[in-house]
Amino acid sequence: MFERRITIVAGHFGSGKTEIAVNGAIHQARDGLPVALIDIDVVKPYFRTREAREELAARGVELVAPDGENATADLPIVLPRVRALCRDGSRRVILDAGGDDTGARVLGSLADVLDDQDPDFLLVLNFRRPFTPDVPSALAMAREIESASRRRITGVVSNTHLMDETTREVLLDGLRLARQTAAKLGVEVRAMGVQEGSRSLLEPSETGCEILPLRRIVQPPVGTPRIRVPGSGPLFVLR
Amino acid sequence: MAKKLMKGCEAIGEAAIRAGCKLFFGYPITPQNEIPEYLSHRLPQVGGTFVQAESEVAASNMIYGAAGAGERVFTSSSSPGISLMQEAVSYLAGAELPAVLVNIMRAGPGLGGILPSQADYLQATKGGGHGDYNVIVLAPWSVQEAADLVADAFDLADYYRNPVYILGDGLIGQMMEPVEFREDRKPVREIPPKTWASTGWKGDRPRAVVNSLYLDADTLEKHNRDLQEKYHRIRRDEVRYQGYGLDQDYDVLLVAYGTVARVCLTAMEELRDQGIQVAILRPVTLFPFPYDALANAAAKAKAVLVVELSAGQMLQDVQLAVHGSRPVHFHGRTGGNLVTPEEAASKVREVLDGRSEEVRHA
Repeated sequence: MFERRITIVAGHFGSGKTEIAVNGAIHQARDGLPVALIDIDVVKPYFRTREAREELAARGVELVAPDGENATADLPIVLPRVRALCRDGSRRVILDAGGDDTGARVLGSLADVLDDQDPDFLLVLNFRRPFTPDVPSALAMAREIESASRRRITGVVSNTHLMDETTREVLLDGLRLARQTAAKLGVEVRAMGVQEGSRSLLEPSETGCEILPLRRIVQPPVGTPRIRVPGSGPLFVLR
Repeated sequence: MAKKLMKGCEAIGEAAIRAGCKLFFGYPITPQNEIPEYLSHRLPQVGGTFVQAESEVAASNMIYGAAGAGERVFTSSSSPGISLMQEAVSYLAGAELPAVLVNIMRAGPGLGGILPSQADYLQATKGGGHGDYNVIVLAPWSVQEAADLVADAFDLADYYRNPVYILGDGLIGQMMEPVEFREDRKPVREIPPKTWASTGWKGDRPRAVVNSLYLDADTLEKHNRDLQEKYHRIRRDEVRYQGYGLDQDYDVLLVAYGTVARVCLTAMEELRDQGIQVAILRPVTLFPFPYDALANAAAKAKAVLVVELSAGQMLQDVQLAVHGSRPVHFHGRTGGNLVTPEEAASKVREVLDGRSEEVRHA
């Protein structure tokens, strides 16, 4: 799914952009490529990729994001190094854009350095999120993101899931809707994100696209294991 | 309806709409911005009105006005913003107006930080504003429960004509979990028509006046007696809590609310593997507080351990409930740091082997 030097990951807020970006960066670093993961998410201060800084460094991914006190400041910070990295042809770059058109607006401000690099612009879709329940709403959101970022979407990543309550139907239904949305946008579904715990729900051959295995790396700022709520079902991972 | 994957803040917003709330007045503050964000999209779709006020003070007084006109109305904020709203909360309580206020708590005091906290417990349960009043306080521990409690909050507010808080820590607002909105939900109380609301006088009834000003001492004292009688009924009828492992033998009783109770539950599993028996009591209503249930549960334990994201606030209610019958210990984190299951488990071991010091005066 990472076909070009620069890949921008965008989508509705909560669609799983960051998880796709983080796992995608690790995936590429494993192939021995120098990779920089750039956090330009100015929308969501709680679970930004910078929380995963140490883990990424251990896996050979350079994280470019505000650090120190600024890592938990709700400030729209775009580091100067971002522009330099976009121009630097020696390494792969994944840009994690913020949610919605608001987050994508930052991309518009980087248009001068991005335009001549011909980046991929991938739209992450989770049809179980409240504002994108169907194809028309996903399309409307895609158009808003394109307009705010001044950039055409070049591919779709299917990421429909319900965390630990994901079923085979949830995955396949999401993939079907992602295909319909991609067709309307004139692009392909480039990959499907599948959480570790959901891998056994389908055969890779059933999907007809690349599968990007997702490990939960982006989590709340403080550590430890799974927190279970008996009876009510949902699981929440605290780190 | 199919399950959705929602942030706590979004689920709170959607639950309010499904409870028939068409009005939201608020002012942005992290970590609850997704509530106004969500409602600014959704309320116009359902014929409602979203107003970003010029401040929390303005927003809370808009709530007062809308509630006085008999509308279901709510606002949300986080700790510093909730502090600014306290005058209006006292007025709402004084005028006996139903309203729902969501506080997604962040670390304080002052501007503090944007990370999770439970340090507004005393403000929420013991007043916050001036005068003798109480607000019903509901504390969810999951996104699903946050949605469910918002629905209940509107019913309780209308039934008792009283403000109701949803008190969630930053995690409740920010974490994502699957959530379902049930179409077959029944109100928790039968709600009488709002004949007291100021909806325009047409001569067919006495004028409805929304007011908290009583200049005559005896009249005001009678009003206060009526309010206290209402709070007494709330204490009698609305206590909610959940127990985990209370029907088995245990040495330590853990008391925690919100997401901290989930951390304690993980700790409980870890401790059980080591042969250490604990139980958990999780208050769901912080006002009214489950004093009796806690006293009974504590009687089975050797010691009680309170765990909070504060320097020790609910601790005071636990001490009142236990009333010196058992040693009470405390573990809290502040500043936005979370309690880990390892920390909670290790504190339990310290309580049992005498390394932890009992809290004598909270």
